[in-house]
Amino acid sequence: MSGTQQTVAIGRGFAGSRPARRAWLGGLHGADYLWAIAFALPYTALFLFFVVYPIGFGLWMGSSPALYTELFSDPRYIATVINTLLYVVIGVNVKMFLAFMLSGFFIRKRWWSKALLVVFILPWATPALPAYMSIHWFLNGQWGMLNSALWEVFGVDGPVYLNEHWTGLAANIGAYIWKTLPFWTVILLAGRMSVPQELYEAASVDGASRLTRFAHVTVPLMANLYLVCTLLDMVFALGDFNSTFFVSGGGPAMSTEVLATLGIRYAFTLAVPELGVATVMSALPLLIPLVIMLMRRLRMSEGQL
Amino acid sequence: MISMRRRSIIRGTVGVAAASALGRPFIANAQAKTATVWQNQGFVRQEDEAFRKTVADYEKASGNKIELSVMPFMALGQKAVSALTSGDVPDLMFFDAPSYILPQNAWNDKLVDVSDVVEPYRSQMSESALLNSTFYNSVTKKRSFYLVPIKQAATPIHFWGDLVEKAGFKTSEMPNTWNGVWEFFKPVQTELRKKDRQYRKIYALGLQITTVGPNDGNNLFAHFMIANGGQDIVTPDGKLHTDDPKVREAAIRSVEFMTGLYKDGFVPPEALSWNDADDNNAYHEKLFVMDFDGTLSPELAWISHEKEYYQEMRVAPLPLMNDGKTQMPCQVGAGGGFIPKGSKNVEVAKDFMKFFIQPKVMNENLKSGLGRWFPSIPQVVKDDPWWLDDSKDPHRKPYITEGVLQPTIAAYYGYNPAWGVANAEQIWGQCHANVIKNGMKPADAVEIAFKRAEAIFAKVTFG
Repeated sequence: MSGTQQTVAIGRGFAGSRPARRAWLGGLHGADYLWAIAFALPYTALFLFFVVYPIGFGLWMGSSPALYTELFSDPRYIATVINTLLYVVIGVNVKMFLAFMLSGFFIRKRWWSKALLVVFILPWATPALPAYMSIHWFLNGQWGMLNSALWEVFGVDGPVYLNEHWTGLAANIGAYIWKTLPFWTVILLAGRMSVPQELYEAASVDGASRLTRFAHVTVPLMANLYLVCTLLDMVFALGDFNSTFFVSGGGPAMSTEVLATLGIRYAFTLAVPELGVATVMSALPLLIPLVIMLMRRLRMSEGQL
Repeated sequence: MISMRRRSIIRGTVGVAAASALGRPFIANAQAKTATVWQNQGFVRQEDEAFRKTVADYEKASGNKIELSVMPFMALGQKAVSALTSGDVPDLMFFDAPSYILPQNAWNDKLVDVSDVVEPYRSQMSESALLNSTFYNSVTKKRSFYLVPIKQAATPIHFWGDLVEKAGFKTSEMPNTWNGVWEFFKPVQTELRKKDRQYRKIYALGLQITTVGPNDGNNLFAHFMIANGGQDIVTPDGKLHTDDPKVREAAIRSVEFMTGLYKDGFVPPEALSWNDADDNNAYHEKLFVMDFDGTLSPELAWISHEKEYYQEMRVAPLPLMNDGKTQMPCQVGAGGGFIPKGSKNVEVAKDFMKFFIQPKVMNENLKSGLGRWFPSIPQVVKDDPWWLDDSKDPHRKPYITEGVLQPTIAAYYGYNPAWGVANAEQIWGQCHANVIKNGMKPADAVEIAFKRAEAIFAKVTFG
């Protein structure tokens, strides 16, 4: 290679790496680059400290295979997994459907529907612990408000709800729906409000009935938001501890435990936190696909409702 | 009645004096340092005030500083477990009932041996306090003191005296055997329901045969076992004796009797799914007549309700066992301070506990806390007439009689961590549920519970 050719080659190499480097630096140079680092540093530190470290620590705590052997040998574990699936699938889907329907009700431009919305939001605004404990007492078979009302009105004694597996589980799911329904209703209400009115007007001009407008305008436009909310709430429901712990206490005979409460029981009643972490970790095969689906859906839905 | 003889007074005085002398060096040895202490919030405000005063007295005497954090019981429990797991620990934790934290963490060598603090007082401590302060360490392969026991609590019988009288019975008629006491309240329910419509749903017994727990149902079962002669289900060597016919017989009789009370309609049906607060709440609302619950908390929670506290609520000590001859011992645990490994200032933490364990300090602290807890040194109670003076407080005397003057036995959790695991699974509550809901025979239900207990205990091996 001649001297000139070498110069050209070096010159090309240098010229070629510059845009790449600049792209890596985000097109910044000099002081701008340092400022960018200075601004990003606190966020990165917080992220490392409050996200990466706790998750890493949790993974490390639950990393021993012996923990899973012990967990799977617990006769309650399979029942707990089934309860968790029922809790998540029924709790989330019933709630999201109700929220979707109620958002249609609350979008009415009547003063009383606005007033009702304020009352409707109260369960969500109430702190979780007293709310769930009130439900626990509300359902008390002997002295609870529900059975007292049944006696006063119909002269019959209601069942002891929290003594049976299915009614106990239903109570937990019902309490979870009651507590978080207002939140998702408001989210879906906001979604409905951002549907352009012109679409409804155009459909009306074309002779579309109310049901047709719902099926061909509202549903397609809200579908993505509905799905994202459902996925998000499934992630929340998987880790929900309050409802089960304070309503049924996991009873009767620990038959309504979900993974979150079983994990807490291991960690803080038996003082074996590693086993508690392993219990929660065992939900990862369900949790990770949910999060991936959620992320993909969010990426696909840029610019949509 | 307590008989105080010259010899016993001299013995007690010499003991206290010797202990005070041994406990004294803490002031000279300590240098001005700071220790972080986590304490669980008391049930009544006076308990917290008493603890703060003890801290202030220690700071004044030693020149050291205590940074005190007071947290609710459950929150401190969770924080303690998290701290012991992560290693980011305080210098000392002071816990009323550390039964679920100590066995596991002592086993895993996560606690500091505090034998040097306890030893000077060892001869004066109640046996139950000693047994519930020593735990097996699987690393050192020996038992040692990991708790400085300061306080203990008994489980007395609580009942509404006014309801008993309203039903036409006298509290003095209560039989003096364990099963007899439970039976006594059955006609009280029947008569009350007949007499007044407001008592349509009143029940005789707050029998916590719960499958939820966490603690009351297990404590109840343990006392039924004791009353029926099955107290050796676990022995201090950590062994489970489910193969002992006497233990099995006691378990079957206990389950039979308890489930019988439930099935006969004398226990609120909801009791199968009660948590530990449910019986207290229902008792305060007079939704049942009698409760068997730890400490004087049902009464002290209502100390501001003068009529109820002084005239209507009653506390009775444990009666004879079901053999009708032997005084039934109450099963008691121990509370106090423990030091996690990783503590930055073990010296001051131990120093504080050396101060606290002194009989005079312990006594003043627990008296100021209204006597919900009593000292782990029985002689302290015997030497101070306040504990048995019922002229101002009707509940303390029967409570202290049960917890200090009558025989006691240690809770089993100190013997083997597996007991805590079995209890956390609520195997006894499930045993009752199998009889009540699944129609199982008591013997079969006990067999299932025993098999599960054996499987849990088989995982723990000593030495």
